[in-house]
Formats: sequence, structure tokens, C-alpha cells
Amino acid sequence: MNVNVAGLAVWGRGLTSYDDLLRVMQTGGLPDGAEFIAPKPEAIPSRERRRAGLMINLAVTLAHQACEHAGVDKSLVPSVFASGMGDTDITDYMCRKLAQPDKMLSPTKFHNSVHNAPSGYWTISANNRAPSTFVGGYDYSVGAGLIEAASQALAANQPVLLVAYDIVNRPPFSEICPAGESFGAAVVLAPIDWPAAGAGLNLRMDLVLESVAAASDTQPSPGLKQVAAGNPSAVSLALLEQLAAVQEGQDDRAALKLRAAPQLELHLGICPAAG
Amino acid sequence: MQQSLESNQSGLSNDAWPACDIPCYLGRVEIPDDVIVPESRWSRNNRLVEYALRQDNFERHVGAAVERHGAHRVGVVMGTSTSSIDRTEEAYRAMDEGAAERFASEFLQPRTHNPHAPGDYLAERLGLTGPCITVSAACASSAKVFAAAERWLQQGLVDAVVVGGADTLCLSVLYGFHSLQLVSDEPCRPFSPQRKGISLGEAAGFALLSNEPAELSVTGVGESCDAHHMSTAHPEGLGARLSMERALAAAGITFADLDYVNLHGTGTRANDEIEGKVCAEVAAPHTLFSATKGWTGHALGAAGIVESVLAMNALLTGLVPGTMNTTCAEPGLPVLLESVHREIKTALSNSFGFGGNNCSVVFARA
Repeated sequence: MNVNVAGLAVWGRGLTSYDDLLRVMQTGGLPDGAEFIAPKPEAIPSRERRRAGLMINLAVTLAHQACEHAGVDKSLVPSVFASGMGDTDITDYMCRKLAQPDKMLSPTKFHNSVHNAPSGYWTISANNRAPSTFVGGYDYSVGAGLIEAASQALAANQPVLLVAYDIVNRPPFSEICPAGESFGAAVVLAPIDWPAAGAGLNLRMDLVLESVAAASDTQPSPGLKQVAAGNPSAVSLALLEQLAAVQEGQDDRAALKLRAAPQLELHLGICPAAG
Repeated sequence: MQQSLESNQSGLSNDAWPACDIPCYLGRVEIPDDVIVPESRWSRNNRLVEYALRQDNFERHVGAAVERHGAHRVGVVMGTSTSSIDRTEEAYRAMDEGAAERFASEFLQPRTHNPHAPGDYLAERLGLTGPCITVSAACASSAKVFAAAERWLQQGLVDAVVVGGADTLCLSVLYGFHSLQLVSDEPCRPFSPQRKGISLGEAAGFALLSNEPAELSVTGVGESCDAHHMSTAHPEGLGARLSMERALAAAGITFADLDYVNLHGTGTRANDEIEGKVCAEVAAPHTLFSATKGWTGHALGAAGIVESVLAMNALLTGLVPGTMNTTCAEPGLPVLLESVHREIKTALSNSFGFGGNNCSVVFARA
């Protein structure tokens, strides 16, 4: 599959914008004392915002930023939301409550427990009635999400938003998935003849599936690897880094691989769109 | 299933669910003890996947596709809303109060306590190494699997795709829907003026899709969002209408070409009123409409695949299921109450979920 990459967004410790990403790439590491800043998406209507937790805020913030970076119409872009673990804060609330004699659940927390909750809040905040989905992919969620978003961009012949995110896992989930920090990233993929409209990215990316005995990911450089080690969505940092390197002219082209399933790798080649 | 349809037998009963004191009827599946999965994958949901996999020679059909195309050319798209949260609930119940916040060792199952569990299990179990995802869009989950599979086939990523869905009864959904006051204390009666809400159910089902000509085909899938509210449908059914229109446009047909519509028809006041209004506006006189959750219960993330299978079965057998438990339909949409035998060629299945997520799938018989 061949697509354009029109824009990106990133949110993690020390990273809340494309410029932050470039700075970390330049200096080789996060600034001292860098922290994870809780995202507060102003775009979510206040009635809904009161009900949203960290994961929803993270995903919706990324969705808006990536669309703005790419210059695509927020009300029209189809979207793919992907996560390795889903909202473990809500899962913890539900299971903890249901283990007690009084099992009455908060109706708001229950409707936020559906894995497509970020998609719901996003579509409400963007007044977007295009197709929107959630892909669960465990450790493979970024690669699987890219396959889903790219195939949709080509099939629908329009830009598609992909948002990948996981929040910090607290006990007992920290033993299931060692995400010590929250992290998310987003890209907008478009058909190759799609005119670049934003100030964001103007890149070409080809995606090839490779069957292997045991799939592995290209690692981000050490400075970025420290951002959210163990977070399933943080494997996307290697992709963001290469996208930025080609966009900024540091590299003519780039190649990397991401796991899409235990025995399936997604090989990505990146070059300038004009090239 | 065919037997229940022919003998007019609902799967709903009011047998108690462990640790649940909500008065309700459930579409429960008795999973035989010999249906087991590896310890690392142990959950009711994965066992239900396993149980469904053993039905109707499905494994053999997948085996034939693997032989033909290679395991890496067969993909998996599963739909679920619960995934294996039944097992996570169990892990929390087994945690000592006040002790360290740790799961007991038998619950340290990373590949089970996550939203991808059913797709991941199915791919490993069938030895499929093509692309594999688990779609989770509440009650639209396992209708949307047809959309993803169609795109993968169209882009040449795979030669065949196992699509399906699996959702299990568990306290999360029972108490969750109870908190929204949507659970009926009697067997659900979709489209009845006296309807009191949903009856929850559990189910798993699959279909094997490829580009090759077959007796049945998916001719169009439509997806949309309401962009209105997390748990309440758009009052004019804007998203529901869009998903149907998009599915019909993809299939290259109009409402007048539909012989049968399997409605989402949950039995809640709001869903049936809105879906009924939207359908009544566009219905052709010959089109049959029915809601089948009175037979199966609302299988949530598996509702899409269950009702797709029911629609496909109607195309194959000519037995169009009626709206079980409903004796008189609300004015507006004339839903089919009793099952009828009629040769049909085109059917649409609706699935609408929380988050305002909608999906409609059109099936046709060659």
C-alpha cells in the first residue's frame, strides 16, 4: 500500500507538539524535569468534558492536533483509534466495584467503558459522522492500526486519521502490561494524489506486510525511547522520528518495521511526497 | 440455530446468573466442560470462541482456505465489546482485600486481559498469520468486521479473512445496562408498544470471506457516527440512516431493492422508536422487517455477526425470522411478527452501538 502522510501529533512526557519532537531529536533527550502534562481538550463540549477521563482526553487531543497539522476537515475525516490495553482506569473501576457486595455502577463510567469511547467523544467534538472504529491489537496495536487506516484511506480515497494511545497502567494491571507512563501519537494518512493542504507533513509512505518467525519493532533513538518505555503505543515513536527526519530534510528516505501480529511485520518506507 | 428457528424457540430464560441479583431474562450459552482453551487464554469469552469454532465444520473451511492461499494470506477481524473482561472480573474477585494489589498467579494472563484477546486467540488457534485485529465499537463491533475485511481483500492484503464476533455475559454488562435502566425484567419485546428494555445474551459466530464467487456475498457495508451522545442515539436517527444509505450505495441498490431488513431492534424505548421511524420513512411495501433479539437476547459486540448469520440464513433457506415475543407492533413500521417462508435475494442487517457508532451490512444470494 502507498499513502501520503499529511500530519502527525504526539503526546507524552516532555512531548506535546511536533516542535517538541524535533527538539528532543535535536538534543538527544528530554529536558530535565520533563513531565507528562494531562491533556485538556477544549474542543470537547463542556457537558461531555466533565465525563471524560485521561484516556479519552489524550486520544481526543491527539485527534484534533493531527487534523490541524495535516490541514484536513475535522468533520469529514474517517478515524481509526487503536490501543493495546484500552482504558485500564475504567476497567479497574468496573471490576473493583463488581467484586463488592454493592455492585451499582456509574452509568457514565459504564458508557465510557466501551473501547470506542474516545471515538465517540472525538466524533461529538468534531461533529463528524464519518466511519470511526477502534482496533485492539495488544502489543501489535500500532502496526495493526496502520494497516487498518492505510487500507481505509485507499479504499475510501480520502484522508484517514489514526490515533494510537495507552495510559499508565497501575497495579494490578502493571503486571499485565508494564506501561509506566501514558503516551499517544496520531498520523493522518491520505491517498497519494491527495493535495497537501496543511503546514504539516508532505511525505510518501509505502507499507508492506512481511511474514516472519518472530516479529520485532524498530526501536526509536535512545532519547525518545525513554519517553514511555513499556507503553504499547510508544513503538510509534520510531515512526514519528523517521517521519520528522525526512520531513525536515535530515534524511532523504527512511525505513523501519513495526509488529502487526506475532508473526507479521509491517515494513514502512518513507520519502518526500514530491520524490 | 436452524432448529430453534423452525420450532419457534427462544433462547431466553430467567435462570439466575452467578452473583447477579437483577431480575432479567438472558440468552445464555451452556458451554460444555470439554470446550477448553490453554491456561494462558482461559476466559469464558475465549471458550465461547472455541465452542463456536467447533460448529458447522467451520475449521475445515478455514483449513481449506489456508491450504489454498497460505496461512499468511488469511486474515482475522474479530468484533467484541466485552473481550475477556469476564476473566478480569474473576481476577479482581480473587484478589485479597487489603493485600498487595496483585492478580493471583493463574490470572497473570497478558494476552487475555486486553481488548484484542478474541482475535489474538482465534488467529493463534487457527494458525493464521495474516493481519489480525479485534474491532471494538460496542454493539456495532461485529458488523464492522465486514467493512475491514472488505477493505483488506480489496487492497490485496489477504486472499481470505475470518470475520466474526464474540461477547459473553458478565457482571460488567449486566450491572452496566442495569445502571442505565435498560434491562427488561421480562423477555425483550422489540417494537412492541409494551417493550421494557433489553434482554442480554452472549454469542460467538464467524464467516469466511474471500474474493471468490460464492452462493452468498457481502455487497455493501455502511459505517457512520451519530456525533450526538455517548449512550443515546441521535433523536432523528441521522447516523442510523446514514449507515443504511452508505451500505446501499456501496451495494449499488436502493431501499426498494431490499427483501429483508434485520433490525437492530433492541427492545429499548428509544432505539426501536428511532430505528422504526427511519425505516418507516424509506421502507418499500414488499420489504420484510424483523428484530431477532427476542430469540437470542442482545449479544452486544456479537450482535452484528449473529444477526448477519440470521440474515444470510434467511437468504439461503427462505425462512425469514419473525419478531419473537412481540404480539402486536407499534404503529409506524410494520415489523414481521411471525416467521414466514419467502424466497429472498437481498438482506440488510443493522447494528448500532454506544459512542453513536452505526454499521449496516448488505448481503445477497447469487
